Amino acid sequence: MLRTLLHFFLIGGVLFSAKTAFQRGEQAGPEITVRVRSDATPGEIEKEIREAILLNEVRRYGWDRTDPIVFDHLVRNMRFIEPESTDDDLRLYLRALQMGMHEHDPIVRARLLYRARQALESIPEDRMPSRADLQSHLESHPDRFEREGRVRMQHVFLSRSKRGAALATDAREMREKLSGLGERPPTGLGDPLPGLRAEQLVTASEIQNDYGAEPGRVVEEGIIGPWRGPVSSVYGLHFVRILSKEPAYVPSLDVIGAEVRADRLREIRKELREQRMAALRDAYTVRVVRAP
Amino acid sequence: MLRSPIAVLTAFLIAALSGCGSDDSAFTDELGRCAEFDKQRQVYWGDTHVHTELSFDANLQGTRTTQEDAYDFARGVTIDLQPYDEDGVATRTATIDRPLHFVMVSDHAEFLSTIALCNDSSSPAYGADQCVDYRAAKEATTPEGVFSTFALINALTAVQQENVRYPALCGPGDEDCLQSGMDVWSQIVESAEAAYDRSDSCQLTTFPGYEWSGGPETKNLHRNVMFKDGNVTALPYSYFDEPYPEGLWARLKEECLDADNGCDVLAIPHNSNLSDGIFFENKMANGQPFTTEYAQTSHAIEPVIEIYQHKGASECLPGGTAPDELCGFEVLPFPDLAATNLENVGEPDPKGFLRFAYGEGMKLEDSLGVNPFQYGITAATDTHISASGFVAENDFKGHGGAGQPNRFLPAPEGFPDIEYLSPGGLTAVWAEENAREAIFSAFRRKETFGTSGPRIKVRMFGGWDYPSDLCNAAELERAAQGYAGGVPMGGTLPPRSGSAAPKLVVHAMQDSMGAPLQRIQIVKGWLEGQEHRVEVYDVAGNPDNGASVDMRTCERRGEGFGDLCTVWEDPAFDPSQRAYYYARVIEVPTCRWTTWQCVRAVYDCNDPVRQIDLDCCDPVAGLNVDWCESVDCRDPESLPPADARCCDPRLEPTIQERAWTSPIWYQPAP
Repeated sequence: MLRTLLHFFLIGGVLFSAKTAFQRGEQAGPEITVRVRSDATPGEIEKEIREAILLNEVRRYGWDRTDPIVFDHLVRNMRFIEPESTDDDLRLYLRALQMGMHEHDPIVRARLLYRARQALESIPEDRMPSRADLQSHLESHPDRFEREGRVRMQHVFLSRSKRGAALATDAREMREKLSGLGERPPTGLGDPLPGLRAEQLVTASEIQNDYGAEPGRVVEEGIIGPWRGPVSSVYGLHFVRILSKEPAYVPSLDVIGAEVRADRLREIRKELREQRMAALRDAYTVRVVRAP
Repeated sequence: MLRSPIAVLTAFLIAALSGCGSDDSAFTDELGRCAEFDKQRQVYWGDTHVHTELSFDANLQGTRTTQEDAYDFARGVTIDLQPYDEDGVATRTATIDRPLHFVMVSDHAEFLSTIALCNDSSSPAYGADQCVDYRAAKEATTPEGVFSTFALINALTAVQQENVRYPALCGPGDEDCLQSGMDVWSQIVESAEAAYDRSDSCQLTTFPGYEWSGGPETKNLHRNVMFKDGNVTALPYSYFDEPYPEGLWARLKEECLDADNGCDVLAIPHNSNLSDGIFFENKMANGQPFTTEYAQTSHAIEPVIEIYQHKGASECLPGGTAPDELCGFEVLPFPDLAATNLENVGEPDPKGFLRFAYGEGMKLEDSLGVNPFQYGITAATDTHISASGFVAENDFKGHGGAGQPNRFLPAPEGFPDIEYLSPGGLTAVWAEENAREAIFSAFRRKETFGTSGPRIKVRMFGGWDYPSDLCNAAELERAAQGYAGGVPMGGTLPPRSGSAAPKLVVHAMQDSMGAPLQRIQIVKGWLEGQEHRVEVYDVAGNPDNGASVDMRTCERRGEGFGDLCTVWEDPAFDPSQRAYYYARVIEVPTCRWTTWQCVRAVYDCNDPVRQIDLDCCDPVAGLNVDWCESVDCRDPESLPPADARCCDPRLEPTIQERAWTSPIWYQPAP
């Protein structure tokens, strides 16, 4: 709970500028100047602007002066450049601030950006999804939760290791036998493999993973009725007959609620990050200076 | 030692969080809910040893990927890998070649709370010296800046058991860490729940778990704790809570197995190869030899063991009492964890290997009535980059952990990991469906096998009266006969009928995306008096089939077998002797990951002293003439440091990937 409250506090801080600016309507928000390379691309410029805004926000609220990682790092820097100093950590830290070290050090910058980004995507209690939200999310994004279609198929296999040079001849004979079966199952025909079933319910992906691309392709084509093959794999030759197909489907929320919730939370974090960043972006007046 | 509350059911917490209503059956998972249900069982592939940013060692080496990323990776999603650039963008990625069926993420229990507390500026521990050091190490820009802190804090898992303690940052009574540990643990359970496919497609099964990482004096005693479902203990009990395996087992019994609340759990020991020979020592916490109760508990809670992973094989050492030419596979030249971390080459102790444990277990069964080491077989990656089941030799990016961290930019030239380490392996189970109840039950009955990475499928049954032509029977019929007339891998043979010797029917098939098989072996061990004897039989295939590897390209030459099957009868069976039998399925030779990388860098190690093949200097071949003329593998000084490792004569240029089945045991009539 303490951490949740803290997140609220931090978010409140980060968004304070944006809210204030909006509420004041025409009054101007914070102004910053961003220096970029003369040949910077629009994308690079936008990235610099966003980072400058975030850094300005965290500095306005003093995080650069209160964050213990920043404190530790600046003290270490000072002890490196003033190895003879007998000052305590606090004095060194304050001197580092006076020198502006916290504004230019890359580790401090990375740390502050990290904290700002964490704050940007923190989820307040009132944005936690309800069951209705999750149902809506599931219905809006069926592609994310869709399960692969399945086929019920019959499968006859001839082993290359077992049949050797006779494999091709045996395959021709097997094809004739299968053609003569009509609707009867291929009971007792072919060679065994661990896990191979004369009839089974599977996806094309599973067949591809188990037996390779060619058998997988035949199953994916999903032609119901005739015996297909022989198709080759590293094991030998395969004959496949598809009896029926079950289309891809989306399970209900009752079944995959936890999965949907996790996906929705990821999405909310992203939405919040973008919304809050956009609000800050709008609130700021930014002057871009291209440096030679 | 610990004063935490009794078991809690996180079901209520998770159900409440899910917003989907809650009831007592939130975690029930009965057999038969998957569309693809097979009473005679199918093979499912998984990894039960995966670390993410929540593990202290992974975290300090720059891993930023989460438990969710580990599950995504198992599904086939591409994930980011360190090093990250200054904008926080990953400079590498990884993708698995095929999805896994099941995963257990097993972050180290020891510092779950440390990481959480030290990163939470509102926590009372935030300003503690260890937290300051940890964060400094996290921000460090040199390996040295990380290592000292890693060594200092991680060393708490290596102190002697009688001196084990939580880190000082945990505050009075360790309460801060206990509370924080529970919070993180509930998140772990929640993320496993979110990733579990509860639809009837049953694409991915997840198990909540963690790693108990005790290693006195860095002698590895680690275990992965695997819960059947979200019904778990209050805490992920660590070395700091329970410094002896029997303490961990007691917690698991008290709060789970004996709690009559539906909780089920098992532990999977691993890396006995790095225990300096103490893993299977007949000694309890009080210094006394095992009691029957101890052996029973070990037998019940630890049904399987990891025979192989990123940090080497634990099957056997070359030069044991029985000739076994294939014992040299991925044996680490280190006796313990510290030696691995520091790359201090030394001799491992044969008493840390499974071959020894199987012999000792039978002896102990003679005296105690229970075999404490009657382990089934699993294998895993032990990845520390969230890359569950990432085992490709030709795409190895380093798994970290005790290996190379790959944290810093620019990424180091040369190998992405310590050259003796490897991509690790996979566990397969024979189960009715890909769901928690079925997969977990397969672990319990040891109907499991491990592979060194490739998805080699193998099935084995043992019985007395199997027909000699069982290999010709349809698989469904054979499985039915196998179960009805005997036991599958992991089982104990039923009482003998007549005067027969045991018959094993073994059928193996190569990985559909891998190399052909060379042979199947049966490794038999038995007790002759109190002597442990071992014999290795080639029972199918052909070890001299001439298959080899083109060392310039890593392309395979020659043939192998797509599948091999045999019904084998023990030719030297003595009904009065305890015995075990396991199958080892061997691929034809292929390039080791180090060779793949050297070949891609135009090195040729196809020479006894790893001399660069002078043919590579042939301009017609279009290779790097200048480079070839400038180096000599016999003189590592002539090579850049990163390149010299390609010529290391201690590295095997090729390997023979393999699968190991759980054994089938024989117990003589009393």
